[in-house]
Formats: sequence, C-alpha cells, structure tokens
Amino acid sequence: MTQPAQTIAAAQSWRHIVRLHQVDMTFGRVHALSHVNFEVGRNETVGLLGDNGAGKSTLIKIVSGVLRPTAGKIWVRDAPIDLDDYSVRMAHELRIETVHQGQSLGEKQPLWRNLFVGRQITGRFGFIDVKKEKEIAHQLLRQAIGFRGHGINADSTVRDLSGGERQGIAIARAMYFQADLIVLDEPTTALAVSEVRKVLAFVEGVKAAGHACIYIEHNLAHAHEVSDRLVILDRGKVVGEFAKGEITLTELTKRMIALHEGQPRGHD
Amino acid sequence: MKDSLVATTDSKANRLLQIEGLPILAVLLALVVAFMVAAPEVFLGYRIYMSFLATVPPLLVLAVALTLVIAAGEIDLSFPSVIALSGWVLAYCIHELGSPWLGLILALTSGALVGYVNGILIARVGIPSIIATLATQFLWGGLTTVFSQGLSYSLGDVDQLFLWRLLVGRIGPFPVQALWALAVAVALWLVLNRRRFGEHLLFIGDNAKVAEVVGVNVVREKIRMFVLMGVMAAFASVLLTLENKNFFNTQGGGYLLEVMAAVFIGGTSVFGGKASVAGSVVGSFLIGMVEAGLVATGLQGFWVRAVVGIVFLGAVVGHLVIEEPERGRALLRLIGAKVKLGRSTHT
Amino acid sequence: MKALALTIATIGVATFAVSLTALADEPLGSGITMYFQMGGNPGDGSTLPRTNGARAAAAAYGVKLIEQYSGWQPETMLKHFKEALAASPGCIEIMGHPGNDAFAALVADAEKRGIVVTSGNSPLTKLKDQYTANGFGYAGVDLYEGGKLTAQKMIEYGGLKKGDKALEYGLRAQAERGRSDQGLYDTLKAAGLEVDYIEISPEVDHDSSLAVPILTAYIQKHPDLKAIGTQHGNVTAFIGKALQDAGKKPGEVIVGGIDLSPATIEGLKKGYISVTLDQQLYLQGFLPVTQCVLSKKYGFAGLSTNTGAGVVTPKTIGALTPLIDKGIR
Repeated sequence: MTQPAQTIAAAQSWRHIVRLHQVDMTFGRVHALSHVNFEVGRNETVGLLGDNGAGKSTLIKIVSGVLRPTAGKIWVRDAPIDLDDYSVRMAHELRIETVHQGQSLGEKQPLWRNLFVGRQITGRFGFIDVKKEKEIAHQLLRQAIGFRGHGINADSTVRDLSGGERQGIAIARAMYFQADLIVLDEPTTALAVSEVRKVLAFVEGVKAAGHACIYIEHNLAHAHEVSDRLVILDRGKVVGEFAKGEITLTELTKRMIALHEGQPRGHD
Repeated sequence: MKDSLVATTDSKANRLLQIEGLPILAVLLALVVAFMVAAPEVFLGYRIYMSFLATVPPLLVLAVALTLVIAAGEIDLSFPSVIALSGWVLAYCIHELGSPWLGLILALTSGALVGYVNGILIARVGIPSIIATLATQFLWGGLTTVFSQGLSYSLGDVDQLFLWRLLVGRIGPFPVQALWALAVAVALWLVLNRRRFGEHLLFIGDNAKVAEVVGVNVVREKIRMFVLMGVMAAFASVLLTLENKNFFNTQGGGYLLEVMAAVFIGGTSVFGGKASVAGSVVGSFLIGMVEAGLVATGLQGFWVRAVVGIVFLGAVVGHLVIEEPERGRALLRLIGAKVKLGRSTHT
Repeated sequence: MKALALTIATIGVATFAVSLTALADEPLGSGITMYFQMGGNPGDGSTLPRTNGARAAAAAYGVKLIEQYSGWQPETMLKHFKEALAASPGCIEIMGHPGNDAFAALVADAEKRGIVVTSGNSPLTKLKDQYTANGFGYAGVDLYEGGKLTAQKMIEYGGLKKGDKALEYGLRAQAERGRSDQGLYDTLKAAGLEVDYIEISPEVDHDSSLAVPILTAYIQKHPDLKAIGTQHGNVTAFIGKALQDAGKKPGEVIVGGIDLSPATIEGLKKGYISVTLDQQLYLQGFLPVTQCVLSKKYGFAGLSTNTGAGVVTPKTIGALTPLIDKGIR
C-alpha cells in the first residue's frame, strides 16, 4: 500500500525531520521525561547518551509513535503533529522508522516477510505479491546489505543470521522504505567485536544514503565516532549537547562518569 | 557452521523435506499402505475412504482453523462448546422453527459471537488464552445444556433439505462435505500465507512486540482471529450435526485432543510463529484414520492410543530435525552418546 | 414449547398420582425434604429422564426435592451424601457407584438419625439387605442382567446361532459400566457365538460419531459378521450409519444396544437396530421418591425394582416416540 514515495517531501524545504518541544512523559508518579526539547536535522546523526533509566527509550518510543507523551508538542518536517492521531503506523507513513534492540525482526520468519511486514506489496484482491517481495528482498540483500556469497537468500529465516546481520536487515528495511529518520535503539548491544564494526558501517551507510538517524548507544567511543551531534539525557532531562568536534572522547567519558556518580543512587 | 547449514538446506533431499506437509504426508501414505497390506479387504475398497471423507471434515475444519490460532501463539479450548452450542442453534431452527437457512446463519453467528467474546477477553482484557477459553468452554457448554434442556434432537428427514444436500450430501458415494473441508483448507492456507492478516498472525506468534513495532494492530488482529476460529468451529458443527442428522448435547467433547494432535502432528509450532495448514490437513486424516485402520488389522482397540502416541512423537521429533537442524543434531548426538555409553559399559 | 409440553406432562402425572394417594387435603409427602443423587450432569441423556421422574413424583407428593449431580464421580457422590446428612433431611437417595464399604459408615449414621436412605441406578446389595426394613430400596438396572437380556433378545429376534460371528464394542475397562458389557459378552459366548471385543476410546465415548469409520472398517474386514452388541447409548445411535457406510442392508447384521436416543430411534425405525435395552430412567427418579414418602410416612420396607426389564424393538418403538420427545422414556 505504502509505496516508497520519493516525491512527497523531498522537494519541500524543512529543517528538522523531527522536533520535540517541552515534552513530558509520566508513568503514574514517575517522571520519565520532563520538559525535553530535542530535534534532529536533515541527514543528521544524533547520538543519544545516558544511563539506564535516563529516558532514552521513552524518548524514542515517543518519536516512533509507540508512546503518547503526557504533554508537549511534536513537529515532523516542521509541521505540527496531532498527538491524538500519532501511532506507529502514522510514524511509518511519515517515514520515521525504528530499529528496536532485538525486537525488530520475527525470528522464525523468512527475510522477505520481515522486510515487508506492515507494508506488504499486495496485488489484486489483496493477496500478497510474494514473487515481487522476494525479488526486491533478493536485490536488497545483494546490493544494500552486501550479503553476497554468504548463502543467505530471501527465504532464509532471521535465526540463520548473526546479530550484526540482523541489525543490517532491520536498517536496510528502514532505508528501503525511504525513511527520512531511522531510530537505532542500542544496535551494538550484545554483539561480538567484528559484528559491531559491521553495524557501525551500516550506521555510516545511513548517513551516506542521505537519511537522518537517532543513535542510542552505551559505548561512548562508538557514539562519538559516528554521531554528528551528541545529546546527553539524565533522569528525564537533557543535560548536555555537543556538535561533532566540540568534545573529545576523553572529556565525554569524564562527563558521563561524573553524571553517574552524581546520581543519588550512585554506590561507588 | 553457517556454510554447512546452507549447504544442507540447498541439497535436494532437504528441499523436498521443506515442502509444506510433505514429510507427514509420507507418513500417512506409509500408514495407508500398511493398512492395505494388513487389511486388503477393507483398504483396497472405496467404502472405507468414503466413510473417512464423511467423518474427517469436521475435524479437518477445526484443525485448520486452530492452526491459525496456534500460529499466533494462542490456543482455543472453547471450540468443543461451540460445536455443542452452534449445533443446538442449528438443530433448534430446523426442528422447532423449520427454517434451516436461518439455522445456518444463526449457528455461524453464534460461533462468531463466542469467538468475539474470547478475542475481547484475551486481546483487550489480557487474560491468557488458555484460561479465557477454558472458562468460556464451561460457560457455553453449560448454556447449551440449559438451552437444550439436556435433550438431543433427531433431525429425522433433514436429508430432504437443500441445505443438507449442499453441505453433506453425496455425489454418488462421495460425501460433499469433503469438498467443503478442502475449500476451507485452501482458503485458510491463503489467509495464512498470502494475506496480510495471516502474516500478521505469524509475526504476533513469533514475537508480539516485534509485531507491534512493525505496525501490526495486535489487538484487532487477535480478535479477528478468534472470531474466525469461532465461525469455523460453528461450520464444523454444522457439518457434524447435519451428517449425524442428530444433535447430541454432548457433541464436541471428543474433538479437543484429536484436533490439537492433528495440528501438532502436522508440524505447527506450539511456540507460535510457524504453522502448516497443509500439515494440519494431513494430520487430521492421520488422526481420523488410525483407529479404524488398527481395528481393521485386528489389533486390539487398546493399542490405538499407544500407536497415536508413537506417530505423534515421531512426527514432532521429525519436524524438529527438519526445521531446526541444530536441535535435531543435538538430539541425534544425545541418542548417539547414549548408544556409545551403552556399548562402552558392555565392553 | 418443549418446556410447556414437559410441564403439562408433569402436571398430568402429578394429578394422577395425587388422585390415587391423597384422600386428605394435604399431599402425602408434605413437609418431607429429599436429597436425590441424579448421576451425571444436569440434562444429559442418561440423567434427564431420572430428573424428570423425580421432579414429577416430588411435585405429586409435595416433597421438597434437592437435586445433586455428580458427573458420575464416586467421590463426589460421597461428598454429596455428607452434605445431605448435614442438612438432616427426611430422605436421601444415593447411587451405588462408590460401593458398600465406602457408604457403610455414612449410611449407618443416617439410619441412626432416622433418615430414610434408598438407592438407585447401581445396587448396594449389602446395605440394602441390612436396612430393607427401614425403607432402603433399589430402583435401577442390574447392569449384568441388562447386558444379558440384550444378548438374549438379540439371539431371539435375530435367530443367531452357534458359530455366528459377533462383535462386542464396549467399555469393559471401566469396572462399573463394564459389567453390562460383560453380561452381553458372556451371554453371546454361552450361546456358542464367536465374539470379538473392541474397547471404546475416550474420544468415541464423548463424540460417538467418531465410531463410524472404526465400525465401518471392522464390518468390512469381517464380511461374515452376524451381530454387533454394545451397551453404550450414543454408540448404539451410530451403528446404523456404520452399517450403511459399509454397504449393509437393515437386518443383515443384528444390532443390540441400549437407550433410546433420537438416532437410535431412527435406527430402530429403519431396522438397522434390532434390540435396545430400555433402562426406564424415569422410574429411577419416580420410584425412590415414592419409596421415601411411603417409608417415611407409613414405615414401609424397601422395595427392589429392576427398571431395565424390557427391550424396545422396531415393532414397539412407534408408540414410545412422543414420550421420548418429552424426556420421559
């Protein structure tokens, strides 16, 4: 149904793919986010840093339409969004894609289904055009992801893939659907070193292909390496923002440690 | 590791094994051949097959529908009560009101209603399906007894009705319900494998969170699924009631385990996300035929369940080996290790 | 409509009973409470006529009837008896399934307190002998005798003779219910028939239509089969269909079964079923209530009635059909 449409917004001029203004999110008594201002520019890779419970996940769930904020405003491509209508489906239609950590792919499903689920190519009478989906999946595997000679094809199931390859599929899916913003939720967690390098290459590929990206990362070195801008969250608030080159990795590390120790529940 | 795995999946033998339902079909055919050898006077004639084609369809319709439910990682234990309830609705309309078509419509509607209630309880309220449908099984089964006042209805000359001839009539000796069951199987195969709804069910069964993230409306799809299950159970009940020309207020109770066995023998994963409609079709015939076959070969009736158990276990292990070569190899290693162990203690 | 018919029938029976007994203004059993173990589940085929009989009698005598349904579980029957004892009613009707020993102490307690205890469906011979004078009676089939009678009538009506092949399709694995199968089996065997046995699976026990291909296969395997016997009510209902599927004509195979479910009646009418044992379940409800009232009021001793003393054949079925529709036969 939703064909990749290059024409909709590409020609229009907008500065920010997404912008959050004074966003609050409370779960009962817990303030997950308070008065957060956050934006992502065109073709910008923003690294989102912070401890567990700092509010990173909540923030990207709001961006991707999974959660509805308690208060605040959101703009997509500089146009205000009616939050009552905002959903995962709508985020898809606005070409915002999220790659959740370990939760973006159906493990037992073949790759072609994983690439098109939620946006199936259907023919007349609403039947899925399996042949076409497989063809595109095949091309994508060869070209975009470079799984050449790996023996992996469109019919392989996700569980045949390594962790890095899975992230690659999820990212490739987002890029194929011409997402202007790709949200990557801890894509390198629990991966072997060689796999991490692959994923970092994918992230750089996102930028090179002209997409914007929110990149959540625990590993400061990785975030520092690939991000255009770093945003630090702490206990639901934005506590720091640095453009590329404004801060060295050493300084960043010190700052994060200080934040960690400054927390009342710090125990070391 | 990966290379070896790819090499095996590409080999011809393995490709054959990957064809949906084929391995279990081979088991069924082997069984039929065994029956032919052991009881040629029964299994080389056509009558026994016509009997199967008349009795297996309700089981088959139920198994195929349940396949979709299990594909989505859920279970439905309430369908035996739908068989009783919808059967009563149909029987009442024919027997008391004299309007079979209204009976058909209301029977299917009652099934849909049961399914809708299940769907709401499970998808919206969040009660695990095994508990919710166990509860509704009691509820609707009990209400059927209340409605029917415990009476069974004979539908006497129901075979004069057009509806009867349309659904369970005979073309020569051939029971028409076999065609209906086949139509249901084809339709639900398409729904599961070629419709968005089916793909969504597979993803929900695989990982509900993933399904949500990729934009599947999990609640809505689950409700639709239980409604479909309810309607199909009602349809099975219509076939059963018309074929029996009787409504029994206990009808349905014997189907629960048989249907589940047919689905799992067919290769559908109990963990959800992977399902074989073709396998369930073959599984239904296997389950529906095995007792008659064993009786005809002269084996004591007591053996039936043991043989079903063996076929069941064999099928499940077979599916494991085919579909998850890693686990299959682990299993073989386990057996191998035991064999070796046995030998070493002997020497 | 059915309910209405049932009510009319009930009132009819009640009026009849009352006109016989009640010369006084008050019904005979007025003020008596009776606990009654009905057996299976409310409304199931082997329970409903008993319920209807008991209700009709209770209405006629003015007895307050408390119904207890155990799903045929012996331990539930014992539990129900304890509950009944706790309520100190005038009478209690029990089922024999748990056995003499299980009931002995409980019944002794009840008798000591002047409660009239009587039994139904399955006998408690030892207790009956002990307490007959206090009104301990029995209304039910002697299961073995029932099976025997069915077999005798099969032989009689079907002209079965020595060397004929027969199949017994039963539940011998169940100690209690199996006794009727045993009676049938032994009698056919004693008459010199070659009798084969198949056990009914739990699935067929529930959904007896599943028996059709099994029997079809068996019948085809044994073309010289002369008789099929069973004491399972719903299986009886489907034997005709299996014979049809196997290409047999009515009367080619002599079929002896039990109960009068609608499909069995069809089978009788078409001639596929030759003999079916009628347990007369209605009497198993009506008589214990009568026993209760007469013993409680006038101290009459317990009476034993074998309610399964008759069979229904294609010739006799016609007259019974309207009563069957009302849940009486």
